[in-house]
Amino acid sequence: MPPSIHPVDLISALRQKHLTPAIVFLTSRRACDEAMEAFDHANFVLPTVRQEAIAKALEQVMAQHPSIAEHPMIPIVQRIGVAAHHAGHLPSWKIAIEELMRQGHLDAVFATTTLAAGVDFPARTVVITQSSIRKSRDFTDLTAGEVQQIAGRAGRRGKDHVGFAVITPSPYIDLSVLTKGLTGQPEAIDSQFTISYPMVLNLLKAHPHEHIQGILAKSFAQFQLNQRAEVLEQKLDVLHSKMEPFGPRVCTDWITQWHTFDHARRHRHTRHPTYRAEPPEIAARLPFLTPGRVVGFNRGRGIVLRQYRSKGQRNSMLTVLRPESAVTECPVTSIREIYDRTYDCPETSAYPWCSTDTFDRLSHQLEELPLRLPLLPILVATDGEPLPDAIVQSLEDFPCPTCPSRSACHKDFLTASRLRQEQHRHTKSIQALRTSLWHRFQERVEVLQKFGYLTLTTQLTAEGEWARLIRIDHSLLITELIRAEAFTGADPSLIAGILASLAHDDDRPGAFPRISPGLSSLLGQVRKLAESLSPYEDPPLLRADVAALVERWVADPTLTWIGLCKLTTMAEGDIYRLLARTLEYLSQVQTLNATHPGLADTAAQAITAIRRGVLEELP
Amino acid sequence: MTTDELEKLLAQQPVAVLHRLARGRVHRHFRAGKRRLIELLLQHSSQNRAGFESDLLTLIGERQANPPSESSRRPGAPPIPHKKVVTKATDSDPSDPPVSLTEWLQGIGVPTPQPFVQDPWQIEALAAVNETDVVISVPTGSGKTYVAIEAARRAMEDNRSVIYTSPLKALSNTKYAEFSKIFGQDKVGILTGDRQENGQAPLLVMTTEILRNLLYDAASGQIDVRLDTLGLVILDESQYLADPERGVVWEETIIFCPSQARLLLLSASIGNPQDIADWLTSIRTTPCRLVRHSKRTVPLRAGYLHPNGRLTPLFRTLGIPQGHPSHLHPEAKHLFIEYEEETLPSGRPRR
Ligand SMILES: Nc1ncnc2c1ncn2[C@@H]1O[C@H](COP(=O)(O)OP(=O)(O)OP(=O)(O)O)[C@@H](O)[C@H]1O
Ligand SMILES: [Mg+2]
Repeated sequence: MPPSIHPVDLISALRQKHLTPAIVFLTSRRACDEAMEAFDHANFVLPTVRQEAIAKALEQVMAQHPSIAEHPMIPIVQRIGVAAHHAGHLPSWKIAIEELMRQGHLDAVFATTTLAAGVDFPARTVVITQSSIRKSRDFTDLTAGEVQQIAGRAGRRGKDHVGFAVITPSPYIDLSVLTKGLTGQPEAIDSQFTISYPMVLNLLKAHPHEHIQGILAKSFAQFQLNQRAEVLEQKLDVLHSKMEPFGPRVCTDWITQWHTFDHARRHRHTRHPTYRAEPPEIAARLPFLTPGRVVGFNRGRGIVLRQYRSKGQRNSMLTVLRPESAVTECPVTSIREIYDRTYDCPETSAYPWCSTDTFDRLSHQLEELPLRLPLLPILVATDGEPLPDAIVQSLEDFPCPTCPSRSACHKDFLTASRLRQEQHRHTKSIQALRTSLWHRFQERVEVLQKFGYLTLTTQLTAEGEWARLIRIDHSLLITELIRAEAFTGADPSLIAGILASLAHDDDRPGAFPRISPGLSSLLGQVRKLAESLSPYEDPPLLRADVAALVERWVADPTLTWIGLCKLTTMAEGDIYRLLARTLEYLSQVQTLNATHPGLADTAAQAITAIRRGVLEELP
Repeated sequence: MTTDELEKLLAQQPVAVLHRLARGRVHRHFRAGKRRLIELLLQHSSQNRAGFESDLLTLIGERQANPPSESSRRPGAPPIPHKKVVTKATDSDPSDPPVSLTEWLQGIGVPTPQPFVQDPWQIEALAAVNETDVVISVPTGSGKTYVAIEAARRAMEDNRSVIYTSPLKALSNTKYAEFSKIFGQDKVGILTGDRQENGQAPLLVMTTEILRNLLYDAASGQIDVRLDTLGLVILDESQYLADPERGVVWEETIIFCPSQARLLLLSASIGNPQDIADWLTSIRTTPCRLVRHSKRTVPLRAGYLHPNGRLTPLFRTLGIPQGHPSHLHPEAKHLFIEYEEETLPSGRPRR
């Protein structure tokens, strides 16, 4: 048995059961083209009347789009009444096929799933041969929404009583993806809101900074974040009611009290061996010198990151975070004060003994500490007394051992502290959900300030005023290139080439046409700048091959479309799309005519040069 | 949560959970290994960390609430007895005899021409769009274009201008041609990234990006008469809101759409149209009206065609059994198992 049905057999089967016209969705353009080739030697010819009808319909399209007159597929389409339709074709050819299909002249069209969205192109039957789709470089399962879009092309209103979605297997097909897709609900829309540099500039151009948070709050992203926050708030309510029995007791915050007490109690025994060596006033401090504790030195303050013993040292050692993110190692004896203040500091196993996020937060918290902090009273056993050891004394410092609610606290502590932790976690998440967009915006603002597009008071600078007009991907790179005068004096072909290397929407490189030294060195400059901007903007996949291709098209007005196509392995539909996208980028640069008249003018020249031949005729 | 914590938490999850998280976030998740998947997820989540974390926690919560039978079972533990062995009887009762091919093929043909009668949902949508914003979520091929055209006609008769946007240049061109035929060349214009014609016409077809740019320019004080008289903005194929790269443009357009203009969102079926409508209600001046249905106008049947040319129905039922993906036709099931055995003798090869 063949791994998938032969295209000729497929179409014959559909015809025989009156299931035509049909759209056959295949995995790739190549598969579509190969399916067409399969008919080359097949004994599969339409009656003359139908062939003539196709010829006539094509002539009508040709009147508007002369470029299809020579299309190599015309004879076979006429002969067999079957065609291919995919992104590798010129729009004019696709229009012709769509028209033939709409008028009912074709029995089948081989297409890629890109057709599934947006083009008005229904049929009686849809044939599905795959369960995944190529996106970027990889294959992804079709979503239920996509399966339904594809299957939904079957059954034309007014032309069919019923439509058919027929699955025919090919290797790698996962039938359950398709059956689930057909019978299931389409996926919910999830906001894909991102905050881009041009968005920030344009918002700040039109609105004062203090209004922005309100504007971001209108996004669907925030709407959905709020929905999630509400769910958490409900959970929080439940937690609150669960916490009720654990309200204030003899002390208001008994959970923390008990926690500290319990902690000290537990650690008393394990520490004995090491602590024996320390003088009592030092030993008494050790239990408090835990990660996150704020301590005072002769000069300045710090936050403990770790306590450890080191061979050559008599005393226990501390790793301490000092101002300006400095990290120092010091013996506990160098500590002057222990403050009644600790911060969260989950320990990790490697330097600096906490995660980078925690480290950054602690550094920040250290800078923000108030001048005065309450000291932690630590009771020290007086010299010479043999036992009880210092810790026991400090334990007695806690009210807990004699407290009437001691047993209740002991019993409830685990549950209560777990609930409270959960409360903290939810509260934090809710806050994050409510403010994340705003933070994101602020981050962008800071970058734009750093580069001089915004003033410190978030006004647009002169640079920001024009930069906001560049509203395409890689906007920061493009505006920085303009500021670096990378385009000054460059030919239209050079600018078009560079913009093409950014504007393409495909990551499969084609064959390499010869590249001019000017373009090659400019591309090098762009690449360098893009790398240096990479902390702020994802670097583009700069495709030198498409840059060279567009450069040639603009620089050489005698180059024909066929000549251009011969320079590369790219399909003509891809070349067309590349040029169309480059036009879009150029027209954005052209809007800078007030501030950069020379550049805008060069862009305008490039636009005129691009629009010829096939590009002028279309759409 | 710190990045490290998040990474650790992700690493603890079974790959299935990661794939569920990756849906709609990461394009390449299908064949990515676990490590790479975590990397991609972290990368993506930098844009919307809070949302990502809360999704993750929800998924973890769900799993804890009803653990999938296999992964929750510890190696030594006895298997948990399956309770839901008997599926509840439904409209597509699996005990009914499966549909035959002859029945399945019956009724093919062209209906006799009928005079045009508006569908009830079309009437409802058109009445509503006079007063307020409308979201339409109906299956492919239902006739959304008719609503767009009629709504545009009425707005123009009122001397208000109309903007129609679509995500694809090809579609914009088709609609431009279609609208020009209906309303006349001089009444319709088009603005796309590489084409500008008749830019002052009362009905403008454009890509959504162009409209977003117009709205930004207007917000920053540039005068645009087209926006002053704007009465209706039609966003076709608005399920693009979920597009990873371009979805944000739809949000911007909706947020900045002038309040005097009505919004008409056309989309194929989506999972949460009510959310979209609620969102519009929360940010616009009038409450948004949702028009939705999921019944296809032309009924759809599913079939299975074996590589040897044999055709059978795919499901036991004539129509598609909503919610019952496993109600396969015994013959289709049999043929497909045979297919898998023959083509993939030693398990599923990787691509
Ligand atoms: N009330 C009606 N009665 C009969 N036919 C109709 C009616 N409304 C629309 N149609 C026809 O239905 C067909 C499909 O309509 P249309 O292209 O508007 O679908 P759509 O909902 O936009 O689908 P898609 O999601 O594919 O864009 C058209 O041929 C149209 O003429
Ligand atoms: Mg439509």
